[in-house]
Amino acid sequence: MVHRGSRWAISIAVGTLWLLAPRRLAASGAGWSGRWATDPGYLNPIDLKVSPHGRRLYVVCQGTDAVLAVDTRTRQVVGQVKVGQKPEGIAISPDGKTLYVSNEHSNSVSEISLRSFQIRRTLKTGWAPVGLTTDRAGRYLYVANTLENDVSVIDLSTGREIKRLEASRFPEYVKLSRHGGHVYVSNLLARLGPYYDPPVSEITAIDTRRQEVSARISVPGVIQLRRIAQVPRSAGGYLLVPFMRPKNLNALIQIPQGWYLTHGMAVIWPSKTGAGGGQEPRVEEVLLDDIDHYYADGTGAATSPNGRWALITAASANVVSIINVDRLNRLLKQIPTHDPNALADRLDSARQFVVGRLRTGRDPTAVAVSPSGHFAYITNRLDDTVSVVSLRSLRVVSTINLGGPKEITILRRGEQLFHDARFCYEGQFACVTCHPHGGLSDGLTWSFETPKLGHDVVQNRTLRSIEGTSPFKWNGMNPNLETQDGPRTAMYIFRSQGFSPNEVRDLTSFLRSLRLPPNPNDDPGGDLTPAQARGRAIFFRTKTNDGALIPLKDRCYYCHAPLTHYTSRVRMDVGTATRHDTIQSFDVPQLQGVYMRAPYLHNGEALTLEEIWTKFNPHDQHGISSDMNKAQLNDLVEFLKTL
Amino acid sequence: MRPRLFYRWRTALLLILTAAARLAAQNPPLYTKWINYTPANGFPEGEVYSVAVEGHRVWAGTAHGLALIENGRVRKVFTTANGLAGDAVMSVAIDPRTGDVWAGTFGGLSRYSGGRFKNYTNLSSGLANDLVYGVAVQGRYVWVATAAGVNRFDTYTGAWSIWNETNAPFEEPWCYGIVATPKKIYVAAWGGGVLVYDLAGRYWKPYTDPDGSMEIVLYRNEGLIHNIVSGIAYNSAMRMFWASTYFGLSGFDGRNWHNYLTKDSGLASNFINGVQTRGNEVWACTQKGLSEFDYKTKVWVTYRPANWRALDAAKAVKDSPGEVIVTWPDGKKRKLTTATSLAHNYTLNLAFQGKDIWVATAQGLSHGTIQISAGGKN
Repeated sequence: MVHRGSRWAISIAVGTLWLLAPRRLAASGAGWSGRWATDPGYLNPIDLKVSPHGRRLYVVCQGTDAVLAVDTRTRQVVGQVKVGQKPEGIAISPDGKTLYVSNEHSNSVSEISLRSFQIRRTLKTGWAPVGLTTDRAGRYLYVANTLENDVSVIDLSTGREIKRLEASRFPEYVKLSRHGGHVYVSNLLARLGPYYDPPVSEITAIDTRRQEVSARISVPGVIQLRRIAQVPRSAGGYLLVPFMRPKNLNALIQIPQGWYLTHGMAVIWPSKTGAGGGQEPRVEEVLLDDIDHYYADGTGAATSPNGRWALITAASANVVSIINVDRLNRLLKQIPTHDPNALADRLDSARQFVVGRLRTGRDPTAVAVSPSGHFAYITNRLDDTVSVVSLRSLRVVSTINLGGPKEITILRRGEQLFHDARFCYEGQFACVTCHPHGGLSDGLTWSFETPKLGHDVVQNRTLRSIEGTSPFKWNGMNPNLETQDGPRTAMYIFRSQGFSPNEVRDLTSFLRSLRLPPNPNDDPGGDLTPAQARGRAIFFRTKTNDGALIPLKDRCYYCHAPLTHYTSRVRMDVGTATRHDTIQSFDVPQLQGVYMRAPYLHNGEALTLEEIWTKFNPHDQHGISSDMNKAQLNDLVEFLKTL
Repeated sequence: MRPRLFYRWRTALLLILTAAARLAAQNPPLYTKWINYTPANGFPEGEVYSVAVEGHRVWAGTAHGLALIENGRVRKVFTTANGLAGDAVMSVAIDPRTGDVWAGTFGGLSRYSGGRFKNYTNLSSGLANDLVYGVAVQGRYVWVATAAGVNRFDTYTGAWSIWNETNAPFEEPWCYGIVATPKKIYVAAWGGGVLVYDLAGRYWKPYTDPDGSMEIVLYRNEGLIHNIVSGIAYNSAMRMFWASTYFGLSGFDGRNWHNYLTKDSGLASNFINGVQTRGNEVWACTQKGLSEFDYKTKVWVTYRPANWRALDAAKAVKDSPGEVIVTWPDGKKRKLTTATSLAHNYTLNLAFQGKDIWVATAQGLSHGTIQISAGGKN
């Protein structure tokens, strides 16, 4: 029973919260720019393409929202054009006259004339576009929209999107097949599924003639499929896609024994793709790690025109692995037909086909090979340089300084530490390995080392916009980021000496700077849709549908307080503990960016927002929801997606 | 003289051609060759609820899965074991832009894309109810008729909208069928008549039986024949929607209703499970056969097995001859016998493939092709 005075107090408090609730706590585009507020102007080269004649190198500079033109002969920057916010990917038209650059935070593609090296027009895409390619005729552009999990097909004659094709989760990179018949899309995150099953990731194959998804190629046991390379038909014609292969439900105590997080590549044979009928091509997996050393975060991939070499960059190891394709083919022939994953966990494979491990700059993200096949160019994102590899001598012969600032700020050092696997035992992984693409969650449930091994498995959480959301960990035991990333990380995660106090300072400064990207469910004009407005009313409601007062602790905003990033920053028991948990209450997660955080709950049991209430709230412990009808639940979900 | 002669001849020729055309129209082409898909050729047994055509592919929703027929052969039958949301597939729609196949099942909504199913259920998504009777694609939106109202799913944003008795003029939320056109959405509500959603105005308009729940029609063309509407179709050429009810066939041209009963037309039965239209044709899937109505010539043709009265609902036709009944506007009838027939007289739905038709029946899927006209051989 609530006293009348208390009711007034509650009403006033709710009203105040409602008024003050930061409707747009998720960062706007300007908010993201704030992430670089103390940035002296780092270039952050993220992707590159070589012109068809080989005389120019076009480098996408994420940090300065620009594309640089580099003379491959003099290795000097000879031009620059400004594009949209946070450019990510680059494609070149088949006739070599036009560049296309995706702008992740502008939701657009900049079309650049190579004759004038100026923007010709800007094409609208879906949200957060990254990878892109034209078709073989240059008539259509395919753009991966990471936050909407689909691919925009844009008619280049009109500049308009004509359709969207659904990918899997966080489609990041695309590749036009050598014969032009397919566009392949790599998805960073695994398909949603039961947390206790190994992850299954997807390469989405699009038939360019029908412009339809023709196959969803399953790559079992791995996550983070990255850039795609294809060897020439004469060398096998298969695709190579770097991946990370986690053993996430083994306790972290396994890390000192190695083999906990391995890095390799999927070998996909498109020749066996069946159009539309669900006949998936053969997928084999091989590791790029050695037994006692790992090459974390395979990201860039390319092959030489003659098919002799393949190059895979290990972004957190600052290494490019040179693969002798003939030797790889010999190894692949040993894989039995009935067991395509026979080598998926073998750490003794790479030595049979990797002929060189070349040191690059920091965070080598992309690699491109010159048309002549003489050189490979690698963008070193956190060095503002491009490494030039001679494919004759298999050596780094030059490093092109793109002209970034010499000053290294705390944030820059923190970001370099975040992307550095040297701090982990045998270089197995870096922070970014489990928090890719600017601090995302990898979407996996992990078995941390607790007193009862195998218990207390927990869902990985995003690092974006965690400032002000302490304490950390699902058990709320780490009061601040310094505790989270200091000795604890060294002892339980990296199994090494870990970071020095200064490094912890740098790293945590960087973590605090991470912000959520613009939200696709959020109207930049500030208006809520009718459904979102109804959902907000439900979020802030104080009475059930039949008029009964909802106890304060059972209201949404009590635990997910808007003024503190939609978390009360305490542990709460919402009835979601299972027999595998040794605690009953969990840290209340912040809700900002919740639309992109699936799966949900501490162990990742709820695959969608709806399931939090339809499956895992049978006794109304996670807020009063049993009185809500389906339309109300849909409205609530629509509101939550705006946060 | 010569010009006058020319004009005479031209007039005579026009008259002859017009008469011939009228004669031809009065003698519509008939579907007399039937190929049936039953367990005998790898098709699931029992009811076929829905059918959709995509080029050379035919998708059939059955009581035991979603069947894919390619080039006349059953290529695959998808069931829950393959990831389908439910085995009873009540409706199928194909997105013409993406090629994705949407299946409404009694276990939720399934999207088949690139060889994999992705399911949307009441528990895992914003789907109003797992009993999905109808599905239609309208650009980026998928419209869903469920036992608890109409859903709209935005494939770009993932947002779900629900319309039911709480926010729209639904007398009954139990929706049996749905059709999407560029401007309007048409819904068949079982017990609630026809509801039409105006996409530009964002409002619903109900069409119900003016007689209420009476099972007789007081005034023939006063309004919708009955509120128990089992199916809905829109014909852009006629600018009419057609509603199948359990008490007759109704068409509405925006001003007038055009109702048809067995007693005053060639309709095989007033118990109609579904309706489809093509050109001037309206096809009613009834419990006593498949009735085709030419809206222009007013000629009716009904197809069914010759021994349909003796048929057990649970048994498929085996090597039965077919029966074709042509009913002209003056009431004259002509009955023909064909060597092959529909798989069963209890028809549920239909789809067009060029001139061919695919008919969902209680005991298999039937593929019909034109062989002769009502006046004789073609």
